[in-house]
Amino acid sequence: MSRELSRLYRALAADTDARALPAPGLLRQRADRRVRNRVTLGALATAALVAGTAVGAQVLLGGAETPPGPPAGTATAAPSAPPTSGPPAPSPSSSPSTTAPSRTAGGPTASARPTAATPTSIPDRAFFALPAANDTGTGNEFVPGPVLPELCGARPGEARVAVRRARTLPFKLAGAAADAVPDGSYRQSVTVYRPGRAGDVLRELRQAVRNCPRQAVPDAPGVTATQRLLDGARYGEESVLFEIRTPYRDVNGEPVGGEEVHLVRAVRVGDVVTVLWEQGWEGSSTDRAQFEADSRRAAEAIERWLS
Amino acid sequence: MRDANSFDDFYRSTSARTLRYGRAVAGDSGEAQDLVQEAYARAWRQWGRLAAHPAPEAWLRLVISRLASDRWRRLRGWRLAASRTGPPDDVGPPGEDTVLLVGALRQLPARHRQALALHYLFDMPVEEIAREAGVPTGTVKSWLSRGRARLAELLPGLAAEELEVDDVA
Repeated sequence: MSRELSRLYRALAADTDARALPAPGLLRQRADRRVRNRVTLGALATAALVAGTAVGAQVLLGGAETPPGPPAGTATAAPSAPPTSGPPAPSPSSSPSTTAPSRTAGGPTASARPTAATPTSIPDRAFFALPAANDTGTGNEFVPGPVLPELCGARPGEARVAVRRARTLPFKLAGAAADAVPDGSYRQSVTVYRPGRAGDVLRELRQAVRNCPRQAVPDAPGVTATQRLLDGARYGEESVLFEIRTPYRDVNGEPVGGEEVHLVRAVRVGDVVTVLWEQGWEGSSTDRAQFEADSRRAAEAIERWLS
Repeated sequence: MRDANSFDDFYRSTSARTLRYGRAVAGDSGEAQDLVQEAYARAWRQWGRLAAHPAPEAWLRLVISRLASDRWRRLRGWRLAASRTGPPDDVGPPGEDTVLLVGALRQLPARHRQALALHYLFDMPVEEIAREAGVPTGTVKSWLSRGRARLAELLPGLAAEELEVDDVA
């Protein structure tokens, strides 16, 4: 046996033993409170989806903002139920989005010409701020890591990156209880590409999604994710929207029925592309109305920064 | 029906070594506390079934391993909840050996960290690690060997003979 490594691990164990965990009763209490919150929010999200399906996205947004009722009293009756976040409401369109025209009628697309001054660094203000109603209070963290989901190994635009920053940002839906867990989490990147090449990057991204309709989920044998481009509102000078669907799995990785659906949108403004990737929270799917609102905020933050 | 007493006994008897495992897998001590608490919270939510599980501690470690590799999606909720109950007790800074080891472990693949933790913290034989990970024993030997080879690169001073695969079998 490795004496040296054994000693190091013993030191780690001794250091760790000095750190206390809460008493078991407190831990159980917290766990039960989280289930109650999730059950309440899940019911609301489902109600909002039904309303939204019937009369449109505005109603869906309004439903999500409805203050929650009292915690469900049946939480302990369903301790092992999967997260009950409502199914998502991505666009049902099956036709892929197409390159949107330049916002300036008759003008050249920005992908064909560099902006007057391509930024060389990315300030905090390039990232959108959540409204108070969506702020979980945890702030955002700028951390390294992927800025796009896996797409069959494609790396659209990576060779053209000039500078990039990316953050992780949890959020809650408006009206969620103050002590509720977040409803989702964004991975948002802002990338400056080499002058005139950002349009190519979005084309590569669309192609990467088209080329990868299905793929195996890493570390989940037998589980397949599906990807497809979606039509959707245009943000910035052009934008790409796609969804990722995976079977919902419990904590042991076993499919238990239902799907998780997450949306990803890339928005280009000049040589800058921001990607908003909603990653969910403990199995939740993307809330479409919230995602659209935050896509708009993300695009506007880039436009303000570059103006 | 969940039996709180049996859960509390399980928690008291296993949480210290589970936290060690979390530390060796996650690296950061605060993160380890978060994910270990999250794993126990999930255990409590399923305690009606889990109490009869043949190896609930292995189930916990599996949850911790998955949470550790997916922490950004799943752990902030617990931090949010934990933050409302006040800061954790003050503890002294970690020792130099711990800092060195944790810094090196962060540069290893998750599978290697897990196998090394089970071997060095739990004294598990290769066969048992393989059962828990659901992989052949040869794979575990490879993880241990490669993990230790990488640690040797990152931690100058580890003797070359410590890298023999046989001594972990």
